[in-house]
Amino acid sequence: MEFYAVCSIFVMLGFVGYVLQFFAVHSAARESGKNCNMTDPVAGNFRPPVTILKPLKGLDDSLFDNLASFCQLDYPQYEIIFTLQDNNDPAFRIASKIRDKYSHLDITIHVERSAFGLNPKVNNLAPAYARAKHPYVLISDSNVLVERNYLTVIAQHMADPGVGIVSNMIRGTGGRSWGAIFENLHLNSFIVGSVCMLDRILKMPCVIGKSMLMRRTDLEAVGGLSAVRDVLAEDYVIGKRMHDAGKKVVLSTHLINNVNEFWSMKKFLNRHTRWGKLRWKIGGLRYVSELIGNPVFVSCLPIVFWTANEITVLTAALVGSMKILGDYLLARSIDCDMKPSRYLLVPVKDFIIGCIWFIPLLSQTVIWRGNRYLIGKDSCLSPCSESAFGVFTQRLTQSLRDRLAWAWRE
Amino acid sequence: MLLCDFHIHTTYSDGSIELRKTIDIFGQSGFDVIAVTDHVVNTDSTIGAIAHRFQYSVTEKTFDTYLQAVRDEAVRAWNKYGMLVIPGIEISKNYISREKSAHMLILDVKNFIPADWSYEKIFLEAKRQKALTVACHPHAMSGMSKNTYYLWNNREKYAKYIDAWEVANRDDVFSVIGMKQYPYIANSDFHKARHIYSWKTLLNCRKEVSAVKSCIRHNRGVAITLFRN
Repeated sequence: MEFYAVCSIFVMLGFVGYVLQFFAVHSAARESGKNCNMTDPVAGNFRPPVTILKPLKGLDDSLFDNLASFCQLDYPQYEIIFTLQDNNDPAFRIASKIRDKYSHLDITIHVERSAFGLNPKVNNLAPAYARAKHPYVLISDSNVLVERNYLTVIAQHMADPGVGIVSNMIRGTGGRSWGAIFENLHLNSFIVGSVCMLDRILKMPCVIGKSMLMRRTDLEAVGGLSAVRDVLAEDYVIGKRMHDAGKKVVLSTHLINNVNEFWSMKKFLNRHTRWGKLRWKIGGLRYVSELIGNPVFVSCLPIVFWTANEITVLTAALVGSMKILGDYLLARSIDCDMKPSRYLLVPVKDFIIGCIWFIPLLSQTVIWRGNRYLIGKDSCLSPCSESAFGVFTQRLTQSLRDRLAWAWRE
Repeated sequence: MLLCDFHIHTTYSDGSIELRKTIDIFGQSGFDVIAVTDHVVNTDSTIGAIAHRFQYSVTEKTFDTYLQAVRDEAVRAWNKYGMLVIPGIEISKNYISREKSAHMLILDVKNFIPADWSYEKIFLEAKRQKALTVACHPHAMSGMSKNTYYLWNNREKYAKYIDAWEVANRDDVFSVIGMKQYPYIANSDFHKARHIYSWKTLLNCRKEVSAVKSCIRHNRGVAITLFRN
């Protein structure tokens, strides 16, 4: 009974956090769509020349549309650099088609195999960054689809010289496979909620790497890409360095779409395991709040570890139902395109996320875009050869075996 | 070279993705030429009858609607992606015995061709329509797929009617086609989104229906590639 009582307290705490997230998203969503600083005529007309850097690797869902959306921006002067590590990358074909289709725009495809650091995205970006023409750079992921006024809206923040970096709220769209549905459910609840809560309530600098607009001078002043070449969370580190240097880190309420249509469950699990490891290494004990902030998972614990009676099952069902309704309303506030019936999967998704939560406590390796790394404090990466991985798993297995043997003797 | 896939199914037969989305999946992935080839299944067997019962077949009644939809999508695909879409069908003669079963693609089809006709009649009608005929998965396949051996077992009789043979289908490679030096192409037999990552054809020709057909027929400037992400 005590276990049930403790879990119930955590469930209530989780809901308190959830309500805060809910209101943070609502407040951001109210601003979304409205141009920031519209009352300031200088900011409203601030449209500096921008270089858009698009690191490409492999085929993302709707890659053609994603890249095309950057060619349809209502913006006076910008260049786009598609950057790849390999001519044989399937994304090269798409980039070439886009360049041919929008031949009137300033589009370059840069292919260069770079071993600048361990972060593959930074490796991809570095050669293109060196070729950027304009004083402002926008680093934008390939799985992002934007509206025509996107650059106009976010560039206005840069009218304030105190602003160092602008990133955006993201919204998961598409969702046809199980993995993609789970991904979008998670992006449109936990991720958007956490980001808005950090930014609006806790006032912590929060940068989403899917879209980062900066002055090149500011980026270089905080160490440039060299400073983040060996970290997994380059977005977090750039944001933190900007913040430490006294620059404002702005989270624009202009929503950008992260298109996830045909993700496999494996990809969903891999991404959230990687992100979990990243938050564990950056946040330390604060990572525990994520488990408490998952009321569905916590409400299921008494069923698994105590007893499946009427009270525990009813509690879990009630919590699950409230979460379904909450996530549905949350997603509606950011205009998500998901069918209402899919929100019935929210408790399943939350339970899976709860199980994944424990993996970062046991494993220090991440697989990203086909590469395996060891991840350390503040998401610092170090090479993880198969032999190193073998040594690690051997140690882990040995440790588990020793503990089991000890328990058996007891 | 043009990245091509000539064996694609939609919800007009047993594919899991509707036509428009299927076109978008290939367009978004950078393909240059594709053929939409939904099944036309025979009715003279239990398996065929079941396919018709569950509407897993284009029929004489639905053929015009199907063809028009593919043509409309072809216009959209060309304008948006610069991708050539060729209308086709997959004549599917399904029987309990794999020795009796055969599938063949008719590319650039203009009129309905029933799967109940004899092989000769089907091939001759395809020739009359100036369509391209391709023998699909002619040899042993891996996994749960049902093998279709008839055309391979009777190759001496039918090879003269067949413009190309699938040397690879999705994950399977049929080395016997290469050994016989038959004209070849490779396709995905696309039914689900993940099937896009499979064997494909590369053609060295202009992006026009006539040039593509000629290139396959003469089998010069043809290569196959395993398309992976």
